[in-house]
Amino acid sequence: MNQAEVSQLISKLRIRISPRHKNLKCPEGPQGRLNKLRKTVNALFKYERLELNYTIADETRGYAERLISEAIRHGDTHKPTMEMADYWIEEKQLIHKLFKVLVPRFSDYKTSYTMLYRAPKAYPDIVYPRSVLELRGNPFPSILPQRIDQRNFIHNILLEEAKKAYRAEKYEQITKSLNEQDVVDK
Amino acid sequence: MLLRSLKLHIIQCGFAPVVLQVSRTCSNMPLSDTHQSPDNAVSGKQVKSERKLVVPSNSRFIYPEFLPDPKMEWRNSLREKLERLDMIQRRKHIDIPEFYVGSILAVTSSNQHAPNKATRFVGICIQRLGCGLRANITLRNVIKHVGTEIKYQLYDPTIQKIEVLRLEKRLDDELLYLRDAPNEYSTFDENMEAEYLPEGTPVPVNTTLVKLKPRPWRARWERKNMKGLADLELEERFYKRAEELATPWEKYDLMKQYRRTIPEEEQKEIFAEVCSELHEVEVMRKKLKRKKVFVKPTRSS
Repeated sequence: MNQAEVSQLISKLRIRISPRHKNLKCPEGPQGRLNKLRKTVNALFKYERLELNYTIADETRGYAERLISEAIRHGDTHKPTMEMADYWIEEKQLIHKLFKVLVPRFSDYKTSYTMLYRAPKAYPDIVYPRSVLELRGNPFPSILPQRIDQRNFIHNILLEEAKKAYRAEKYEQITKSLNEQDVVDK
Repeated sequence: MLLRSLKLHIIQCGFAPVVLQVSRTCSNMPLSDTHQSPDNAVSGKQVKSERKLVVPSNSRFIYPEFLPDPKMEWRNSLREKLERLDMIQRRKHIDIPEFYVGSILAVTSSNQHAPNKATRFVGICIQRLGCGLRANITLRNVIKHVGTEIKYQLYDPTIQKIEVLRLEKRLDDELLYLRDAPNEYSTFDENMEAEYLPEGTPVPVNTTLVKLKPRPWRARWERKNMKGLADLELEERFYKRAEELATPWEKYDLMKQYRRTIPEEEQKEIFAEVCSELHEVEVMRKKLKRKKVFVKPTRSS
């Protein structure tokens, strides 16, 4: 029987969170685990799209989301938030990116700030489940195939019209030949 | 009560009808209460006009037991809701005032072996644990030179009265180190009178530093980072070991923090649901108090 901690208020994350954390096989213990995650969080803020093991991507996602939500909630003048950003982001120029680029980008989002996709395993080389983790609104082309309505493309319209014309011509020919047959029969 | 009746329903009939039953009882409970007694109905009308009540931002400190257990495997929205309803029902019967760890409380509870069927225990609150109906507090006092602690379930029906004699906070969230401190730190007069704190003043923080007795202790206090302890006067090796075992990275573990708390949106939902009812109970209690002050003159023949 636990009691919820009330010392600080935290915004709700819009991602699914597993009830327990993953240990990530760290000989250095919990500190080593955070160091591992720090690298991926830093890389995520730098490159905006990463291909990772599913487990580590899932863990990283929570930390990145929390960091962004804290930055949105408190801004860059809040000392504890700045301290947190300083711990999690190793390349210090990325702290500016977090507060000046990512916060304005995500401040009126109603969804999660990151996306996690399952990636195919390259059998038989990689046996662990792979995944792609990305920040939303990144400059890269989307991972999922985009379904664009292609009917209104000019060549499709022209082809459609050509098909119609061809068919009309065919029908005319058929009716003509039928009429001729009728005349011959009579 | 409600939970017990729910269990009975589950035994009596299948699962699908049970859910219906529950939702009905949920929506009807406060209403049926207001219909029963005229006092409640009046206060209900008053609250309806004040429905735009803003939930006070310090609710989470005053009513921490209304927040559910943050452990995700144990969350169950229906059970939490029913528990909250039961808690409000209990609060209609006894006044559970605002208090903190470090406040001095007096709890009167039924005791069939006592001469007047009730015992009153005065003591400092050294621990506040649990949530929902199982919320409990531990009171400590020294009685006849023996350190005595009693753990009370806050929503136990055998509790008759909870009074706050001195409302204050201490530097720590748990004062278990008072067990290893000299008796003078946890000795309080049983006939102490309640100290009045004017409404709206912030809760005072008692900054006394506790000087512990020499070792052995019940816990290794040098490892616990307690703010309310004076210098422990240990050998160097104890502090060295404490430094080795310290976990300074834990304050940066954002997800660990997240898993320990209830997010703000959920808290708002819970307190918005609970606060109007709690306010209603408070208004009713104030009215009763005023009624008690005024003594109707009786005709003496």
